[in-house]
Amino acid sequence: MKRAEKTVLIPDAMTGLYSIVLLLRRVRAFLVRDVRLTLSYRMQFFLRIVSILIVVTTFFFISKIFVGFADPRFSQWRDPLAAWLTGLAVLNYFMTGFSSLANAIRQEQMQGTLESVLLTPISLPTVIVASSTWDFVQATFFSFLYLFFGWLFFDVHYQGSFLLALLFLLLTTMVLACLGILSASFAMVFKRGDPFGIFLGTGSALFSGVFFPTQLLTQYAGSAVSSISRVLPSTYGLDGIRRVLLEGQGFAQVRDPLMVLLVFLAVLLPFSLWVFGRAVRRAKREGSLIQY
Amino acid sequence: MMSIDSESIESATRDRAIAVSVDHISKTYPVSFLRLKRLFRRRFKPPVEALRDVSFEISEGEIFGLIGPNGAGKTTLTKIMATLVQPTSGSVSIKGFDSVREDEDVRRQVGLATAEERSFYWRLSAEENLMFFARLYGLGEAAAKKRIHDLLDRFEIGDLARRRFGELSTGNKQRLAVARAMLPSPPILLLDEPTRSLDPLAAARMRTLIKSLATEGARVTVLLTSHNLLEVEELCERVAIIGAGRIRALDSPENLRQVHTQTERVEIIFSARGGTKQEAELRHLLNDDFELTAAVRGDEWVLSFSREPLDNKLDSALNVLHESGAVILSVEAKRATLLDVLESYENEESRENGSHS
Repeated sequence: MKRAEKTVLIPDAMTGLYSIVLLLRRVRAFLVRDVRLTLSYRMQFFLRIVSILIVVTTFFFISKIFVGFADPRFSQWRDPLAAWLTGLAVLNYFMTGFSSLANAIRQEQMQGTLESVLLTPISLPTVIVASSTWDFVQATFFSFLYLFFGWLFFDVHYQGSFLLALLFLLLTTMVLACLGILSASFAMVFKRGDPFGIFLGTGSALFSGVFFPTQLLTQYAGSAVSSISRVLPSTYGLDGIRRVLLEGQGFAQVRDPLMVLLVFLAVLLPFSLWVFGRAVRRAKREGSLIQY
Repeated sequence: MMSIDSESIESATRDRAIAVSVDHISKTYPVSFLRLKRLFRRRFKPPVEALRDVSFEISEGEIFGLIGPNGAGKTTLTKIMATLVQPTSGSVSIKGFDSVREDEDVRRQVGLATAEERSFYWRLSAEENLMFFARLYGLGEAAAKKRIHDLLDRFEIGDLARRRFGELSTGNKQRLAVARAMLPSPPILLLDEPTRSLDPLAAARMRTLIKSLATEGARVTVLLTSHNLLEVEELCERVAIIGAGRIRALDSPENLRQVHTQTERVEIIFSARGGTKQEAELRHLLNDDFELTAAVRGDEWVLSFSREPLDNKLDSALNVLHESGAVILSVEAKRATLLDVLESYENEESRENGSHS
């Protein structure tokens, strides 16, 4: 018997343009799927919007306690409502950054669909990126709602370059997505009990200045505790976004946090991809790819 | 391993190229975090050896059966071929692509249909599910829609296209699974119990479809895993019997039966009105090779025995019955089935396990 010739069904599959088209087609497939699945739970979507409005309203009333009490040391907190809303909007986005990738894997594992998805000629990284796309679309929408409701109902004003703020958001999300890849690797091997989600989720809210200025950590908890905030990328991301949107600072003034985020990205991106590759190989070796 | 050289099989497959080559595949599922468990002196189950040095080849357009008891290694082997599990050693080549190094290329060549219902999105319709997977395969919108409608019509579930997957019957879910495997028109189909939940008519139509896939047009190579041995006998050119992770036998169903057992079982039902006297006379004339039992109905009796092809036992039995005045009602010869062959290997396996323990 003779060997079969290698037959490439799509001869130009690996050519640059075609692979981009294929990637976009696949991302679209996941987006359409997730939109349809979300639409099959319309009430949940609607209730999320209502809950954001309730949260914004609650913070509006809390902010009224602090009228006239703003400490001049904390320039970003002159309007506490604006600081909280940017903090909440950005935290929501960051949380998506590091949790959606692991959730994408876990969701498919629990539904039992991961195996059938992985039977198609699609790489696992593409599956993870594509299946978290809808999470990012939703996060963008809900984060926008925090800012929009503040502007529409409670007279919150933003200034500065939205493009620069967007650059910060994008960069921080990419850094957090690297941590998300580590988290996804953990989910692939250990299935449950992801430490990244626990530490970064609660840690970001506490140490990144979402609800209060990070300087207060030094004042009340000491420099050792406050140093935690300095190793969290979300601290730099949030600081940069607030400087731009609330203080109206330009590129030259926010260069430092931008550089720190770039360093985080340069270190974490190759490391997380390396860990992820090892996790996939391990799961395939153990035959536990679809277990949860 | 019992291997049979059969000239007919050889000649039938000689001219066809090899579509699938499984070369000395072994798979042992390792113990997770073994070092840690040893360090903390935690108990752990020994590693599971799912496949041991498995080798075979499947020709283009061949329907190849894989049978064996539960836990024999069928699913592991299928998953290795579908690139979902990596072998511990050995290699699998699908249309010339290596299943580990060129896994994406392999997945372009292979469609896998399992009886696993949870592999679909239950809140999406049948059509939406297929469209999602068609896009993952890289099919364009128009081509995907046409392909989906063709497949749904072919599997006679076109009218259920817009129904949610969760609302479909088990049989229709299974048809959809096969339709999904065929979406990208793969040259190799891995079918895991494709007729398990189908009614007899639908199962027959599915078998006809599988047969036509391998014989018509661009001939599809099929690896069929099934517990329905009649189905395997009907469809497969060659069958591999797998047990305890090893290929125990590999040949055409006919050859497997012949090598396994040369004999056939003959059962003669006859009417004897002579009562106990006639029974005693018959027992006197027939030796211990023959088994005589009273049938459930009235004065009917059953005479059963094993015979080699072309021996004179059947003639002797018929003569004796004729001389005793019995009226022969029916004569049935039963050849060994794949079930018998499988059972014999299972028995052999338990004997081996018994001798090892």
